[in-house]
Amino acid sequence: MKNLVVKDKSHLRHRSKVKHEEIEYEARSVREILTEMKDISELITDLAYSALVLDSREIAEEVRELEARMDRLNYQIRLTALIASRSMEDAESLTGILTVASAAENISNAAGDIVDLIDEEIDTRPFLPFILRDADEKFNVARISPESELAGKTIADSKIGTRTGAIVIAVNRRSGWIFDPSKDFRLRGNDLLIVRGTQDGYNNLQKLSKHAGQFTEKAGGPR
Amino acid sequence: MSGKLPVREEEPGEVDFSKTTRLLLELKDTSELMVDLAYSALLYDNEDIADEIFSLEEVADDLEKDVQLSAMEDLKEHKDVKKGFVLIRLATAMEKIADAAVTIADVVLRDIERNPVVCLSLRDSKVRITTVTVERESILAGRRIGENKIASKSGMWIIAIRKDRKYYYGPDENTMISEGDLLLARGPKEGESILREMARKKRR
Repeated sequence: MKNLVVKDKSHLRHRSKVKHEEIEYEARSVREILTEMKDISELITDLAYSALVLDSREIAEEVRELEARMDRLNYQIRLTALIASRSMEDAESLTGILTVASAAENISNAAGDIVDLIDEEIDTRPFLPFILRDADEKFNVARISPESELAGKTIADSKIGTRTGAIVIAVNRRSGWIFDPSKDFRLRGNDLLIVRGTQDGYNNLQKLSKHAGQFTEKAGGPR
Repeated sequence: MSGKLPVREEEPGEVDFSKTTRLLLELKDTSELMVDLAYSALLYDNEDIADEIFSLEEVADDLEKDVQLSAMEDLKEHKDVKKGFVLIRLATAMEKIADAAVTIADVVLRDIERNPVVCLSLRDSKVRITTVTVERESILAGRRIGENKIASKSGMWIIAIRKDRKYYYGPDENTMISEGDLLLARGPKEGESILREMARKKRR
């Protein structure tokens, strides 16, 4: 699996060449790269644990791709920071940013280590779902029924996040997997949602994904 | 100086997990709390929170060692080498995540001029960190976290509570919230306003 991380770096050389020309743009770019790295560091651990829970090689593959992307981002942010640094002060404050960036990369490496366990002999795995389902924040799956009010709505319109507290980390449908779906992503009947959240929120999500019509929470739920 | 991480207690009717599994779960929750706290410490340039990460690191180290020992103890009875191997490897990965949190906390404690870009990046992020003060007579005040189902109603996960000047880290559903408490929470952007609303909304 480690081979995936140490990739051909020719594409990075090309990118860095482009960036040499626009130093102003670079200064903003450190922010963008760091945001993406933080987002990936959070998504990737969720995906890694859910790959184990669901015993899914496809999710594991996505984790490996994100791990490789993180490796490239860490390289890019260093280049960008070095170009932007003009003084001792710059260097000091950018060092902090680079340290945070490599911490985020280390998290993604740990996620890679976690999904490597999926390749272990099959008879050792069934116990993992039980382990991970008892954690404070659980990983669960919910199937959207075609009659559900969620079918046809975007994630933003469905308000899943604030009505159930569950965060959709991946969607599986006939055409394949969609990881970390955006707010504009439109849910369809028969979609399988992989979510992270509390058991209570998951129970609400199950009701939402099964029943037609408006699901309202008892006694003053947030609307 | 700070509240202790709540100890996971056996609930009646809960599946009886092995000792190894319980330790591993505790390590998972600890490592995730540490990462949340690390990004919070960075965002608010808060040394108290950064210090707590160093204390939690010792907890995580001990837990990793305990998982390893316990997994080996299990071998005496079950002789399931592969299972032990997987558990130990998982513990190592979780400890690696905890170490990454320490690296971030170290940046906060180093006292270097903080680069504003860090804050901007964290605010642009999908998972946001925020603080909310619990107002007088709010529906949250005087109740346990679980009673208000904060996580499932707002999508916000409370990672620490500041009561007076003291922080309590990693609260659970039984943790009592009082008026004036400062809640440190993480979650989606839309959840932030719902939590803020809950902290303001008066009891009927």
